[in-house]
Amino acid sequence: MSKLKLDKNQKDNVAIDRREFLAIAGAATGALVLGFWVPQKRANAAENSGATWYEEPEVPELNAWVVIEPDDTVIVRIAQTELGQGVWTSNAMMVCEELQCDWSKVRPQYASVNRDVRESAPEWTLNVMGDGAFDPIGGGEPLFRGREPVRGIPDSLYRRMRTNEASSVRDGRYYLQLAGAEIRERLLLAAAALWSVPTAELTAKDSVIKHEESGRSTTFGKITHLAAETPHPNPETIGIKPPNEWTLMGTEQKNIDVPAKVTGQVVYGIDVRLPGMKWAALRACPVYGGDVKSYDFDTIRDLPGVNSAVQLPIPDPSLLRGRQFSGAVAVIADHWYQAKTALDEMPVEWDIPSENATANTADMHRKLVSLLNESGSIQVDEGDVETAILGASQTVEAEYSTPYLPRARMEPGNATVLVTDERVDVWIGDQSPQETRRSASVITGIPEEGVYIHLCHLGGGFGRNGNGPQAEQAIMIANANRGTPIHLLWTREEDFVGTTYRAMGVARLRAGLDADGWPVSLEVRTGMQDDGFGPTSSFATASRYYAPNYRFSNHTTNFHIPCGTRRGVGQAAHEFYRETFIDELARAAGKDPYLYRRELITRTNLPHRDDMIRALDLVAEMSGWGTPLPAGTARAIALEEKGAEASGTATISAMVHTVSVSQEGLVRLERVDVALDQGFSLINPLSVKKQIEGQIIWFYNDAMHQANTVLEGRIVENNFDRFSISQIKEDPPEINIQFFKTGHWMRGMGHDRATSVQSGISDAIFQITGKRFRDLPFSKHDLSWG
Amino acid sequence: MAFDLEVNGNAYSVEADPQTPLLWVIRDQLGLTGTKFSCGIAQCGACTVHLDGLPFRSCRVPASVAVGKSVTTIEGLSLAGDHPIQIAWKEFDVPQCGYCQSGMIMSSLALLKKTPDPTDAEIDAEITNICRCSTYHRVREAIHRAAELMKA
Repeated sequence: MSKLKLDKNQKDNVAIDRREFLAIAGAATGALVLGFWVPQKRANAAENSGATWYEEPEVPELNAWVVIEPDDTVIVRIAQTELGQGVWTSNAMMVCEELQCDWSKVRPQYASVNRDVRESAPEWTLNVMGDGAFDPIGGGEPLFRGREPVRGIPDSLYRRMRTNEASSVRDGRYYLQLAGAEIRERLLLAAAALWSVPTAELTAKDSVIKHEESGRSTTFGKITHLAAETPHPNPETIGIKPPNEWTLMGTEQKNIDVPAKVTGQVVYGIDVRLPGMKWAALRACPVYGGDVKSYDFDTIRDLPGVNSAVQLPIPDPSLLRGRQFSGAVAVIADHWYQAKTALDEMPVEWDIPSENATANTADMHRKLVSLLNESGSIQVDEGDVETAILGASQTVEAEYSTPYLPRARMEPGNATVLVTDERVDVWIGDQSPQETRRSASVITGIPEEGVYIHLCHLGGGFGRNGNGPQAEQAIMIANANRGTPIHLLWTREEDFVGTTYRAMGVARLRAGLDADGWPVSLEVRTGMQDDGFGPTSSFATASRYYAPNYRFSNHTTNFHIPCGTRRGVGQAAHEFYRETFIDELARAAGKDPYLYRRELITRTNLPHRDDMIRALDLVAEMSGWGTPLPAGTARAIALEEKGAEASGTATISAMVHTVSVSQEGLVRLERVDVALDQGFSLINPLSVKKQIEGQIIWFYNDAMHQANTVLEGRIVENNFDRFSISQIKEDPPEINIQFFKTGHWMRGMGHDRATSVQSGISDAIFQITGKRFRDLPFSKHDLSWG
Repeated sequence: MAFDLEVNGNAYSVEADPQTPLLWVIRDQLGLTGTKFSCGIAQCGACTVHLDGLPFRSCRVPASVAVGKSVTTIEGLSLAGDHPIQIAWKEFDVPQCGYCQSGMIMSSLALLKKTPDPTDAEIDAEITNICRCSTYHRVREAIHRAAELMKA
C-alpha cells in the first residue's frame, strides 16, 4: 500500500503514506481504508498552520526536533500541547533562534509520544549549562523533580512532554535552543566539507549558508541530506545564545496556528474522524466514588443508530495520581447525538458510598474553618507570634474563603481510541501524554511501545489534570470494542463530573500592629483538603511582607472531591488572602496601601526584594496612583510573585485595578495597569500580553462570578447557565502592560498572573461601599451603596 | 428521514432525525467541524452559524428549521482566511486556544452586517459568546478593524 485512499466525503483530506498511519491500517481488522480528517497537506508552510500529528519525514531528520525539507520548510516537533498559551510558536522560536532558519518557512508538528518511549534523550540534552537562575548565558533553572517517567521528567526522547506549571519555556528552553544549535553546527560542518573550507568562515542566516570569501552560498534545504549524515563530533561543547544575542526570541511573533483558528481548520480532539468510527456518550456517577448498580440497555436497544452499551469501573486511581472519580456507563452509536439522546433515556442506578452521598459545601466549609482552631501543620515559626501580639497597639484578624473551582475549558472532554491486539492509537488533546501512554498500556495490556498518541490542539487547558479520566474511559470503551475506533465525547454536564477542582480553601490571618501601624507579628492559618494543590504557596518559607514574628500553618482534612492543579494553583487563593489582608492592615494603620506594601517589602531581605519594589513603583506610576477619581471609582494595588522568597527563578508583577461600583451594586473593572518582571527576556512578548489579558478576566471571573457548590455529594453548577463565565461587556476597557528587565530567569507566565484582581476588587468595593467581603465570589453579596 | 440543506452554497441531502440539532448534522454528517460544541444549551455561542444571514446557536436549532434556508458556517467565509473579518482577527492575533473563535467570528460578522460601524456599547450588547481564554480585549479591537476593512 503506497497511498491511502480518501474518504469520498472528505475532499479536503489528503493521502497519508506515513509509517504510523500505515501501521494502524495494517493492525485494524478487515480492509480498513483510512482517510483522516487532517489539515491540508502543506503547499507551503504558511498554509498549514493548524495542528498536525507526527509524520514520518520524507527526508532524513536532522535530530528528534527538526526536519528540513529540500524546499527549506523547517518542521519543528513540539512536545508540549498547544492550548492557547502559544507553545507551538514559542517552542519553535527557541529552536529556530539557534537554527538561524527562515521563520516564515517553519511548520510545527506534534512530537511522537510513541518514539518518546522507544528512544532515549540525546546525552547532550541532559545537562543544563551555566550557573542557574542568575546566569544570563546559562540554561536557567528547570524545576525537574527527578528523572522518573510519571511524576518527574524522564530521560526519554522528548523528556518532559507534559504541559503544566507554566514551565514549557522554563524547563525546555536550554535543550530546545541546543536542538537548534546542534543542527546549525551540523549544517555548517556539511557545507564546510562540501566546499573544503573552514567552518569558521561560514555564516548561517535565514536558511542560507554563505562563504563570503568565495561568494558561494547554499540553503539549508539543499544540504539537509548531507547534514543528516554529518554527526557533530562534540555536541556537548555546543553553547546556546544569551539573551543579548537573540534576534527572534524576545520579539513579538504572531501565533503560528492563528490563521488556522480563524478558518475553523484546526483539528481539536473533538474533530477527529476515522473510517468506521463509532461515537460514545457517557454518564458517570455524579457523586465521586459512586459506581453503576444497574442499567437497562434493553429500553434503548432499538433506538436509531444505537449499537451497544459498556459499563466502566471506577478508573484506577493509580493512573490518575490517586484521584478517585466514578464508575460510568457508555452508550455507543453511529452518531454522537444518537448515543447521547439514547443515554438520556436509559435508566441507570448508582451505588453511592453513604459518606459521600450526604456531603455538602456548607458542612465542608464549616469543617475547614473548625480546623483553623487546631494546631495544624506548622510550616514556618519565626520569633514568637503569641508574645509579640500581646505588646501590639492593635490587632487585626480576618477570615477568608474561596470555593471549589473547575477549569471549564470550552472543549468538553473527549478522546478517540482504536485498540487492536498489537497496538493502541489515541487521538486526544492532552496535557500529559506520557501518563496517558502508560494508562493505555495498563488498561489494554499492550506495552507502551505499542501505544501511539496523536496529539491534538486543546480547546483550553487551564490545568494539566483537569482532563480527568477522559483518556482512561475512552481506552476502556475501545478495549471492549477492539478493532473499532471509538470517539468518546462528554457532554458539558459530564465535563463538570470528569474534571478535577481547585480545592475549596479557608484562611485566618491575624496581625499585631505597633503604634505606627507596622506589623510586629503575623500569623497565617490556611485550610484545604489533603490533596489540594499548592497548600503552602505565597506563605511558605517566609512572609513576603515583613513581620519580625511570623507563623504559618496549614490545616487539612479529607473530602471526596478530586482536586487538581487548576490555573493559578494554590497561589491564586493564597494571594487573595494575603493581599486583601495587607490592604486591611494598611487601612487599620491609616496608611497608603502602595507605600505600606513598599515599606514592608523594603524591610525584608528576600532575594527578589528589589524587583518587587520596582514592580510596585512602576505600576503606581503607570496608574496615576493617588490622582483623583470620580465618585464610585477606586484604585487598588497588589503584588503578585512566584518564587520571590527563594534564590532562584521567579516571576514578579504588580497590578493596579481601577474599579467602579454603581450605587445599584454593579461592579466594573475599568482599567488594569500591569508591571511585569520579564527576567533576562521574554520569549514571545505578544503571547505574554495575551496571557495577561486572559488571566485578568480569568481571575475577574473567580472574584465576581464563579463557584462550585456540592449538594448531596454532587457538583451543583454543571453548565454555563449556573456556572457563569463573563462576556465581552465585562472586559476592562483599558489594559496597560509594561515589562521591566531583571537579573534572573523567569518562572513562567501561563497561569498565576492577575490573581490580584481578586483583592483589588475586594478593596475597591470596600473603599466605595464601606463593606468588606472576604469570601468569593463577590456577586453573591449586596454591593449597593449610597 | 431524508431532507435537503443548503450549507455554504452547497446542496446536501441528509439522512437524519429532523429534530437533530443542526450542529450535529453540520459536524457529524456534513463533516464541517469548524463549528464547535461546548455547552449544548445555547449559552456559550461556540456553535453559532448563520441562517439566512442571522446568527443562531445551532446546538438548539432542529435541523428541520434550516430546511429552505441558507446556512453559513465558518467554512463558508474563506478557507484561505481572506475574509475581512478573518484578516482583522489575524492582525490582532485574537485566538488563544481558538475553540470559541468560529462562533465568535460568526456572531461578530452578524453584528457587522446589521451595524456596520458598531460602538463599544453595541458590541457589549450583541456579542454574548463566551471565551474561556478571555480574548475579549482583542475581539473588540478586531471587530472595529473588521468594520474598517469591510467599509473599504
